[in-house]
Amino acid sequence: MFGQQNLSTRRILLAWLLVTPVVLWRLLTSVYPFLRTFYISFFDNSPVRRTFDFVGLDNYMALTRDANVDATLTFTLFFTVSSVALQVVLGLAIAELLNQRFKMRNFTRAVNLLPWAMAPIVIATAARWIFHQDYGLINDIIWRLSGERPLWLVNFTTARFAVTITDVWKNTAFLAVIFLSGLQGIPLELYEAAKIDGADGARSYWYITLPLLMPLIISMIIFTAIFRVLTFEIVYALTNGGPGTATSLLSYLVYLEGFRVLNFGYASAIAMLLFFIVLIVGVLGYGFLRRAWERL
Amino acid sequence: MNMQLISKRRFQTSLFYLAVILFLIVVLLPIYYIFLTAFAPSGKLFTVPLTYVPRSLATARFQDIFGALPIARYMLNSTLLATFSTILALTVSLLAAYAIARLNFPGANMVMIGLLASSMLPGTATVIPLFQMYQTLKLMDTLHGLLILYGSALLPITTWVLVSFLRQVPVEIEDAAKVDGASFFQLLWRIVLPVIRPGVATMFLINFIIGWNEFFTPLIFARGAGVKVITMALSEAQVIGARSEFDVSWGNMSAVAILTTIPVFIITLIFQRQIVEGITSGVFK
Repeated sequence: MFGQQNLSTRRILLAWLLVTPVVLWRLLTSVYPFLRTFYISFFDNSPVRRTFDFVGLDNYMALTRDANVDATLTFTLFFTVSSVALQVVLGLAIAELLNQRFKMRNFTRAVNLLPWAMAPIVIATAARWIFHQDYGLINDIIWRLSGERPLWLVNFTTARFAVTITDVWKNTAFLAVIFLSGLQGIPLELYEAAKIDGADGARSYWYITLPLLMPLIISMIIFTAIFRVLTFEIVYALTNGGPGTATSLLSYLVYLEGFRVLNFGYASAIAMLLFFIVLIVGVLGYGFLRRAWERL
Repeated sequence: MNMQLISKRRFQTSLFYLAVILFLIVVLLPIYYIFLTAFAPSGKLFTVPLTYVPRSLATARFQDIFGALPIARYMLNSTLLATFSTILALTVSLLAAYAIARLNFPGANMVMIGLLASSMLPGTATVIPLFQMYQTLKLMDTLHGLLILYGSALLPITTWVLVSFLRQVPVEIEDAAKVDGASFFQLLWRIVLPVIRPGVATMFLINFIIGWNEFFTPLIFARGAGVKVITMALSEAQVIGARSEFDVSWGNMSAVAILTTIPVFIITLIFQRQIVEGITSGVFK
């Protein structure tokens, strides 16, 4: 009895010893800096002006008056909704494509992974060249088809679409891989039973595939939406948030305010706003997910 | 035979292949275009309409960027950071994952959820205090300073995936080894590691790619040429030989893009299966 207890204490000690490096590493490089960001957001903190003065809620009040923040939130909403919607629909379609039996299937599946493997900054930088008005790939195709050469990165609306298209090109592969794996998990008997009942391809997709994939689709919507809100590289390298502030995102705003203007206090307040948006998306999404599971 | 049915099926098949071809074009054409730009002879870069099948290729741009920038050093730094952050993260994650999956201790779930929650904290919401810490601790512009941050980003998902791999493996072999009197590290090294090697290999590949592609962290924490990485050369290559602020060398940029992309493409094409398994095991299990 005594020996047993001793063993279990030793086991627990060993367990905590084993998780300590990971926990400590994350505490020091993620949790503590995050709490510190929250703290700094109540200060006027600038390395240039050498200030560290408590200002209460001033930084947060400034957020509500800042036109850049308004524009950024507008684009965040546009970008998140349009990019997630496109990625989910295209991801489902590509997964269906890759799930069929055909020649070159392995090759096509490998090609699908290429955009996922490329660095976001490479794609964002190259996209500026691909969207180039005179010599870019996209305008060459559009010009051959219609004789027009749209000014992608100069106009508000087209610049927004350029950011979304670039993001969708890079990240849909990831969703396609996940959805493909979901499709492979659906038992074939279900489709055979449906076939006997006379359901064609479209019907069995609507009544069997989609409902069974729904929890996965919803959790991927949450996951994808959170990462859209956090997007940095595409805006940094493709548009610099422009024209004006048409394609500015919060991460980019934190970078500008923190490391160009060197206004740490205000940048921290923007970072907290970013965190709250991520939190809201996560909590709302989790609610939807639970309801989807209950319905299944 | 019902001719109508056959022609309908034929129509569906050609529609399907049309979709496959369209998909391949959408993915591959931009990549091909970057390749074309990088190797285009200098007079052939700006043409209207574009020439999709080049008559000749030139490697002058690669000589230019290797001459003007310490590209070899950047690539070495990228390799070192991606490799060692991956090894470090895998080592400590394996220890934690073993404790969580096998030792059944109070707080195991809390650690798992805490890791997941901490991975939701945006990098931009931690970067300012980290910047200040790094200045105080003299970690700015050091490879080990970067290594700490690269590794940190990999920990939550790596631990999660390794836990899920461990939970699929029966415990009995380990129990037998314990009875034989194996020490803890012998057990981990000789019994556990070989069994979950596929999981470790998968996470090695994915983490290496993530580390190689990293940009935001070095942008803030690596400012000296000695510690810069290859992803930072994209913007530097654009201004080589620039005559004005608006003069962007797309050819040089594309050459760096090719250099940055080739290693991850090779890994992805060789280890396609393992990578897909890694991506999905993070989500499903």
